[in-house]
Amino acid sequence: MNKKKDISGDHHHPHDQAHSHLPSDPELRVKAVETLLLNKGLIDSKTLDELIDTYENRIGPKNGAKVVAKAWVDLEYKKRLLNDATSAIRELSYQGRQGENMVVVENTTETHNVIVCTLCSCYPWPVLGIPPTWYKSDEYRSRTVREPRKVLLEFGLSLDPKVQIKVWDSTAEIRYLVLPMRPKGTKNMDERELAELVTRNSMIGTGLPKEIK
Amino acid sequence: MSRMHDMGGRFGDGLIPVPRDDENEVTNFEPTFKYEWHAKAWAITLAAGALGEWNLDISRHYRECLPPKDYINFSYYEKWLAALTNLLIDKKLVSFDELKEYVSKAKNGTLKKFSNKDIKLDRRTWLAKDVQKTLGWGGPSIRDTNINPVFDIGDKVITQNYSPNKDVSGGHTRLPKYAMGRVGVIHSYNNNHVFPDKNAHDLGENPLPLYTVEFKSSELWGELAENENDSIFLDLWEPYLKLFPH
Repeated sequence: MNKKKDISGDHHHPHDQAHSHLPSDPELRVKAVETLLLNKGLIDSKTLDELIDTYENRIGPKNGAKVVAKAWVDLEYKKRLLNDATSAIRELSYQGRQGENMVVVENTTETHNVIVCTLCSCYPWPVLGIPPTWYKSDEYRSRTVREPRKVLLEFGLSLDPKVQIKVWDSTAEIRYLVLPMRPKGTKNMDERELAELVTRNSMIGTGLPKEIK
Repeated sequence: MSRMHDMGGRFGDGLIPVPRDDENEVTNFEPTFKYEWHAKAWAITLAAGALGEWNLDISRHYRECLPPKDYINFSYYEKWLAALTNLLIDKKLVSFDELKEYVSKAKNGTLKKFSNKDIKLDRRTWLAKDVQKTLGWGGPSIRDTNINPVFDIGDKVITQNYSPNKDVSGGHTRLPKYAMGRVGVIHSYNNNHVFPDKNAHDLGENPLPLYTVEFKSSELWGELAENENDSIFLDLWEPYLKLFPH
């Protein structure tokens, strides 16, 4: 006998879903729901402004770049970062929403790491901010686990067949950050200068840090 | 058996929409939100979530439960808004009549935000002064329990097949279809985390051991594997796994 609940996971028959009554123009659709919630006092416009400003101007890949640059110059920090990323990242005051459990994976001459979320769009907000459009695209979500090398080629990244690719599918509440290899010829650069070389894509695994010309 | 969101490994998708600059070089630059309505759809979803009427797993499941043709046709933030709308109605924060009233106002151009003095904030409403504090806390999913993990690092395990959610058919799960019925190796144990398969259906948090499991690309894709040295790692809860051979 089937012991499962005699209901499907659907909340309504599709025809009954409330969203199907919304206007066809997405801008108008958002405006309708936003205004309704504001007028009911369930959300506050100042909170919306604060949220948007935070992720447009304060939280983004510059945070992650500082973490990477510090790991490049400070071997003890790098050890802490690879051992307990959440605590090591918190040392730089980056923490919280969508970064509660961080794991940092290190690129070497033998291994290249790539991060994806095939089921939705899980991404380490405190160090990288809101994910870019391509990260949330069907194309990236469907293909990266099956053909990572073809995907990386589209980002201009060609990997030696001898290099092992490790793809990390963020299926739980662990959030991943790639520690890229320090570019050659940067021996005399300080942490601040090094952070400028760390691109967002290099911390997802779809790119490399900028090279010194 | 799966839903539209479970697309790992699927055939048919084209090139990744990689942004390029004027010289056709890959660029890392992209505005955080392309349109104002993207920012608004995102922000109202976070703010409404903060009312505490649903958890993260429930909101994920609502996006996954959009009819397949909507899931495919909607852009990212349209999915967010549609799921939010359904949640607002189901959790009775908004009545269907209210929604219809605002939709018709939006359509005939008479939508109007009340002046601030005419709005009475709900006691649960997330205030701007608390935003940084709440973001800093986040929503940790680790729970202190006395549950010990069954598997050791290095153990060979096989994943569940067909329908991992044991309580609700078609229910929420975080075991992707492409990794069902496959053999992998326990790479690490990551403490005990809230179990989404229960939590998404208001059946309690039921924290359970969470492992990172390594699968060889050839185990997942057979002869289609690009390179047999490559591996795919997934974070999987204990009920998704059995010792192999079992």
